[in-house]
Amino acid sequence: MSATTLTPGTAATPQQWRKPRRARSPWLHVVMVPLTLLWLSPVVYVALIAFRSFDDIAARGLAALPASFTLDGFATAFSGGGLVRALGNSIAVTAAAVLASLALSSWAAYALSRFAIPGRKTILLAMLAGNLLPPQILLVPVARISESLGIADTLFALVAVQVGFGIGFYTFVLHGFMRGLPEELFEAARLDGAGAGRIYWRIVLPLSRPAMAALAALATTWIFNDLIWALTVLRSESKFPITAALLNLMGGYSSAWNVIAAASLVAAVPTAIVFFLFQKQFVSGLLVGSNK
Amino acid sequence: MNSRLSRRSLLAATAGLGGAGLLTGCVGTSGSEGGGAAAGGGGGGGGGGGVVFQNSIQDTAPKAALEALVQAYDGEVTMNSVATEQFRAQLTNYLRSNDPPDVMSWYAGSVARDYAAQGLLLDVSGMWEGDGACAGFSEALKNLSTAEDGTQIFVPTNYYWWSVFYRKSAFERWGVQPPATWDEFLALCENLSGQGVAPLANGIGSTPWMASGWFDYLDLRLNGAQYHRELLAGEHSFTDPEVVAVMEQYERLIPYFDPDMGSYSAQDAAVPMAQDQAGMYLIGAFVTQYFPEDQRDDLDFFSVPVIDPAVPTAEEAPTDGYFAAAGTSDPDATIAFLSYLAAPEQQQAFIEQSGSSNLPTSPDVDTSAFSPLVQKGIELLNSTQEITQFFNRDSSDALQTTADTALTQFLADPGSRDRILQEWQRAAEGVFGQ
Repeated sequence: MSATTLTPGTAATPQQWRKPRRARSPWLHVVMVPLTLLWLSPVVYVALIAFRSFDDIAARGLAALPASFTLDGFATAFSGGGLVRALGNSIAVTAAAVLASLALSSWAAYALSRFAIPGRKTILLAMLAGNLLPPQILLVPVARISESLGIADTLFALVAVQVGFGIGFYTFVLHGFMRGLPEELFEAARLDGAGAGRIYWRIVLPLSRPAMAALAALATTWIFNDLIWALTVLRSESKFPITAALLNLMGGYSSAWNVIAAASLVAAVPTAIVFFLFQKQFVSGLLVGSNK
Repeated sequence: MNSRLSRRSLLAATAGLGGAGLLTGCVGTSGSEGGGAAAGGGGGGGGGGGVVFQNSIQDTAPKAALEALVQAYDGEVTMNSVATEQFRAQLTNYLRSNDPPDVMSWYAGSVARDYAAQGLLLDVSGMWEGDGACAGFSEALKNLSTAEDGTQIFVPTNYYWWSVFYRKSAFERWGVQPPATWDEFLALCENLSGQGVAPLANGIGSTPWMASGWFDYLDLRLNGAQYHRELLAGEHSFTDPEVVAVMEQYERLIPYFDPDMGSYSAQDAAVPMAQDQAGMYLIGAFVTQYFPEDQRDDLDFFSVPVIDPAVPTAEEAPTDGYFAAAGTSDPDATIAFLSYLAAPEQQQAFIEQSGSSNLPTSPDVDTSAFSPLVQKGIELLNSTQEITQFFNRDSSDALQTTADTALTQFLADPGSRDRILQEWQRAAEGVFGQ
């Protein structure tokens, strides 16, 4: 795209075909390979620490090249079962919250984009405005509300909070996307006698799949990586998600860095899997609705 | 499809993109700042019946030791461990919750007293009299655990000491001896400097409170424990000539500190010592956990040498233990569990298994099996005239923040001492004025 815009004067098609190829000169790799390595270096660094022994780290420092290879870090991280349980909590919360927030926000977006609901612009803006507030100022209210509702210290509360805070943004994005769906489709469906529910199920949902997949991928990473809400509504260690469990591995005075690094690697696996599965949607997600 | 519609969608998409970036930013920061910023509290039931035991013990071995103790307890206890900084932020919410955790680990001293003054802590005076679990504890510990209204609200179970730690083998190699006087200490620093060793290790990067260690000790040595406590209680000004004298001594030490101390954490700073590139480290006894297994027996310590013999000796010995929420649903079970934790057998088991160099608070603990280092620590604290906690524990976390700012600034730029002390005093007045 950028190559063609750089050469606006050329008219002939064959030339246009050759130009992008010349633009793909080694420079892309010259710049991108070191950049990629730079981006990967923290991960490599953590991986190196995870396989070192504590004594090696204590004697030679965190930044030294490994002089030992051991799986002790992983063994300690997994011992006691805390990490596995926390991963389970995280996955349960993430799955429930992503499904619930996408279902709810797609209904909202469908309604707001396809029906003449009075004040729909205000509703939409109000939903989005909530996202502009920093979560920190809502911590105490959320803690108090969840306590007074009697749902504090339950995974349900965490899911509810995640849905509540995600739904505004998801609705906004889906609304933009659904508004771009061709009106003719809906007219045709209505002529065939389909009601609102059937149109949603048979037309809106299948057509919104790219946007939904992109949002699902983004929401999964956000919710899985969340720490602040988990710490706000949960108190029992047995209900902590993986992020809070990782924080717990940090010592008050001293930290077994190899264990923390090993646990961090384990904790990153689910998000990495989601990313690779939804890689295409991640990229397209950033363009949702832009080419309609 | 007209062009207007498509332009609108494009705008929406752009806004969406911006929103995505913004939200990612939010999520990112909230994650990393969770520890400090989270002020919300967990409420509701902390797990069915029995005693809920909320604690902040994180270091691997001590945590395992405590878990073993809780497991061996004959009664239902739900133990929840929360990272220390998070615990600190949540503690008020725990205590104020409708259904608070019953037992919580925390620090003795002014922090516990503040909570007691707000009526949030359970009166455990019964444990301190008759044949209660704490009845035999020293008078100093009892005073430390007593609230302003004269009742006991804290159950101390172990404490540790601060001193200048060094490695015996390294001192032998360098041909030096632990100093007995302040002048000898400065000469030793000079000597080590000459040998290309950083005489004093320190890590004030991510653990800026480490800078208060030397401040506390110099104040204790120059002005005494009484003045130190009063200073931290707001009864003296940080611009006093006494504090200026402390800073003058502190300034003499600056060239001897590890030049990288600004980028080290307390734990990182022990690495140069393990490699014989740094000589001594004024730190709490938890430092033993920083060293590789095979170097731990090599560690020894000496107390910060006396500067003014007229000043009574004093050591810092932060005391850890437990208090209970006033709102506990089952005070009897709570006290029973506290008594279990404070009993000599449990203290001994905890200290032996935790591997950190803690001292027991109960006089009935058999200390003969403890390491020589711990024995020496017990002796040090038994022979000192005054015991203080640590800067934050003798004052408050809020005042600690003002000290962190002032002292890190001072270490980087000792020339601006007077200005820094004035700013410190202003910040401290803000804290006390609250």
